[in-house]
Amino acid sequence: MRSIRAADLEKKVYRLLKELNLRFNPQVMERLCGSVEGEYHQYFCELFRKNAEIAARASLPLCQDTGFVEFYVEVGRNVVLEEPVFKTLNRAVSNVYMEFPFRYSMVDPPLGPSKNTKDNTPTFVHVELTEGEGVSITAHVKGGGSENLTALWMFLPTASEEEINNAIEDHIRSKGGRSCPPLHVGIGVGGSADTALFMAKRALLRNLGERSPIPFVARWEEKLFFRLNKLKIGVQGFGEGPTVLDVHILTQPRHIAVLPVAVAVDCFLCRVGRVSL
Amino acid sequence: MIKNIDITEPYTSEVFEKLRAGDRVLLTGRVVVMRDSAQRRLLSLCEGGSNLPLNLKGTVVFYAGPAKEMAGAPIGAIGPTTSARMDKYLKFLYQQGVMATIGKGDRSELVEILNKEYRRVYFVAPSGVAAFLASRVERSEVVAFEDLGPEAIRLIEVHDFPLFVWIDAFGRKYRHP
Repeated sequence: MRSIRAADLEKKVYRLLKELNLRFNPQVMERLCGSVEGEYHQYFCELFRKNAEIAARASLPLCQDTGFVEFYVEVGRNVVLEEPVFKTLNRAVSNVYMEFPFRYSMVDPPLGPSKNTKDNTPTFVHVELTEGEGVSITAHVKGGGSENLTALWMFLPTASEEEINNAIEDHIRSKGGRSCPPLHVGIGVGGSADTALFMAKRALLRNLGERSPIPFVARWEEKLFFRLNKLKIGVQGFGEGPTVLDVHILTQPRHIAVLPVAVAVDCFLCRVGRVSL
Repeated sequence: MIKNIDITEPYTSEVFEKLRAGDRVLLTGRVVVMRDSAQRRLLSLCEGGSNLPLNLKGTVVFYAGPAKEMAGAPIGAIGPTTSARMDKYLKFLYQQGVMATIGKGDRSELVEILNKEYRRVYFVAPSGVAAFLASRVERSEVVAFEDLGPEAIRLIEVHDFPLFVWIDAFGRKYRHP
């Protein structure tokens, strides 16, 4: 067994969160601005580059919405953590959000006389015990505007792929412009209501351009990628450039009476990163 | 070709009525920054017959909540939030004399109707470029509801702040040509 010190974990996560807020995701720029489609698109790409430059130089966040932070922790079978990982991760978030000019966006209680928690905690943590070795932590800095597009449908178990695609397309067509397109779209199909939502969120952790190892899912991802880009919402909603950066789908077995489908989206900044120990 | 227009305070109907959906504007002057919670509070003050803590007549409202500022900087990273969430307060703002709003994303049909009726404008500001936009802000002060933190009402002074007309004063919405 290997014991992992909370301080080591905290330091790595602190650095990761700093990078995610200050550095433009290198996977994004080519897809976003690789081929310019019009005057608006061109202008926005100039702004994205200037913004990335200022953010890195002046330690200002790329976006004023420095999000809530969601963590996906994979704990291998050979490790012991010094304290509950939730504590370590909250401390890392609190420290980095207090030390950098980020925004405190968390309020409590959620309704009524809400008060700002003033360090951007609590964070949301999902822990999975795996067969692997060591600990891997994926952090997702998620803005409110993209989170508000999350949706869940409980389809009839006899629904076709076409019906599902239509629902997703309608959803992105009517609301996609609000969440800072081009979007990364994550979809969860099957399982239960809650696991479908969880799969949709986890699909947003996948690398842009990566396809599902399951052939029918990979084809479905490609089909939806093509179809959603035909919506022509475009960069910043101006109808030029890509509408989605990628589509990722995760699937699970389901009960014979149930067919949940969930969608989650990420804004074009895709502030996702991973550290391991 | 995108049409470029410079607008400097004071904000007049004459200038705003010349704008067309899709035009790019560089705005210079004062802007009131407020979002969800502050607008809800203003409306309930008004409905309760109390005076508002600021005069909105002739102002431009920016739906935003900035990040913390670095020591010595006028403001932290700032950028638009989703406007559609605040459609329900727009009529109230127009009745208070607000000339235009700034945010991100499309809005409900109600906004097209209200813009036409009051001859007001809805601009979008580029999103996800908050470090850059902060460099176009010269001054900033909290003017009300300090307890709301990033949602407090601020008065900021911007210089060449880039905006696009999304819904103009005739209720016409931007459509890609």
